[in-house]
Amino acid sequence: MERTYECKYVDNKKIKKGIRIKRHKVIKNFIIYAILISGAFVVIYPFFFMVINSLKTGPEIMHHPNALPREISLKGYIGVFKLLDVPRLFLNTIFISGSVTILNTIFSSMVAYGIVKTQIPGRKVLFKIILGSMMIPGILLLIPTYMMMYNWNWINTYRVLIIPAAISAYNIFLMMQFMKQIDNAYLEAARIDGASEWQIFWKIVLPMSKPALATIMILTFMGSWNDFFGPLLYLRDESLMTLQLGLYRFSSSIPGKHIEQLWAATTMISIPVVIVFFFLQKNFIKAFTGIGLK
Amino acid sequence: MKKKLSSKHIWGYIFISPWIMYFCVFLVYPFILAFKNSFLDLNVLEPEKAHFVGFGNWIDAVSDKLFWKSIFNIIYNQSIFIALTFLLGLAFAILLKEITFGGALFRTIYFLPVITSITVAMIIFNFISSPEGPIQALLMKWNIISEPIFWRFDKWLPMPILAVFNSWKWFGVQMIIFLGGLMSIDQRIYEAADIDGAGWFRKLFSITIPLLKPQIVFVLTMNIINGLQMFTEVFMNFDLYGGPYNSGLTPVMYLYAKGFDKMQMGDASATGLLLASIIYLLTMIQLRILNKGEEEGI
Repeated sequence: MERTYECKYVDNKKIKKGIRIKRHKVIKNFIIYAILISGAFVVIYPFFFMVINSLKTGPEIMHHPNALPREISLKGYIGVFKLLDVPRLFLNTIFISGSVTILNTIFSSMVAYGIVKTQIPGRKVLFKIILGSMMIPGILLLIPTYMMMYNWNWINTYRVLIIPAAISAYNIFLMMQFMKQIDNAYLEAARIDGASEWQIFWKIVLPMSKPALATIMILTFMGSWNDFFGPLLYLRDESLMTLQLGLYRFSSSIPGKHIEQLWAATTMISIPVVIVFFFLQKNFIKAFTGIGLK
Repeated sequence: MKKKLSSKHIWGYIFISPWIMYFCVFLVYPFILAFKNSFLDLNVLEPEKAHFVGFGNWIDAVSDKLFWKSIFNIIYNQSIFIALTFLLGLAFAILLKEITFGGALFRTIYFLPVITSITVAMIIFNFISSPEGPIQALLMKWNIISEPIFWRFDKWLPMPILAVFNSWKWFGVQMIIFLGGLMSIDQRIYEAADIDGAGWFRKLFSITIPLLKPQIVFVLTMNIINGLQMFTEVFMNFDLYGGPYNSGLTPVMYLYAKGFDKMQMGDASATGLLLASIIYLLTMIQLRILNKGEEEGI
């Protein structure tokens, strides 16, 4: 008797507990989603603000900055082309970022291959030097590098933005981490077949390193595309300007009357990055997470 | 066999030659130059007039009140920024780990500010936070503030406000890094803790945070290195000296003003070296504290 009673009692309690857990879970999920959604709202709001204002006229922006546009006006977008040489800025920026990305990817993976896949004497020291150089704060070399560029007459050229950025310790490090995992048997087999080191690097190791290559390409391209300090320091001519610098100059020179053009320009500059980001979203996030954590 | 090996070696050196060149030309040489220039009175435009001043520049750099003001500003800014991004990053990572639906979408949204350029983000943020902007309008409407705030010209406000801006911009990266760390924690540890009757906070402080240590060390170190080098945000908001109270002056901006406005390259070199040693020291102290003598950290 007592036994059955006890069983029943426990069962009941279990069911009650089950219901409680379920209800608890629904409430918990509700709270979590509420926080996540409000967080998302806060993050998105500035972009939303930028886009809606780019579709308004100047007076409407000043009086109703937060409201949806009453009627969509493309005045800002059309006007921007008169005030700012947008295609030129785009081409300049693409040229600089493109060259930096291609050169940096090739050189950084070459060095990584040289250290990880050939048994040259001194490679351990080299590895330590590369790691150590990542700890040097960029600010230390700012003034002497500028003076060097000044003495070489490199100021106001693209060389100054491309050549020093054509290789980076950080990318070498990422490539080394990746190449270590590639089985040496492939390389030995190719060597026996008489392939040169360059062929092995170019035809075997590089194609096998695609995920790592994508990572360093994304990071390098983003860094170069969004760079403000370099162009500010080194470029003088209007015709050489990059997007970021052009946008900064435009935003700081207008006395509030070109406000619709400013919002249009900001939107136009952000949209390509956002589109690329949505397509390559997974790679982007992986690229940023890969930083130093493996 | 021997011949083959040596050709392999030659190729090895060809492969690493770009780094050797870069290292000598763009790291070692400027470093030596910085050191040498820190003992010279030097103007780039008139290099022939340079002359030796001994430790003069170093003494100037250390005794300059503006330099220490910029250091104070950046510490003020970073303590708020690091606390804020750390909490936001960790909190959102923990929340994202709990949910089963929509995680990818949230991750993408939170990551959006990270890929936006500082220039674009700053233009938007400036307008939103300005006295005519929507945030202050709302605060006035709700009677939280009585008159518009011109935070850029305030003595104390620029640094906390820029810290909030930077947290908005960067917490996505830290969240993703923490999320990666959380995902790699063995679920059985939590189950064991559940059986022992550990509560939510107990699990957070006794399991999650200790096991996230590599990620925490990495994020904090990255923040110190990057934070001390803040430039664009302040440059876009203030004159070269950080506004009326120098409340927006950061070390890099101070260096920029000294080198490119006053053209005192010798002085600026000494300041740069001083600053680099401070950054290096802080990073080392931080790694030491967080690792407490454990293996090599990051």
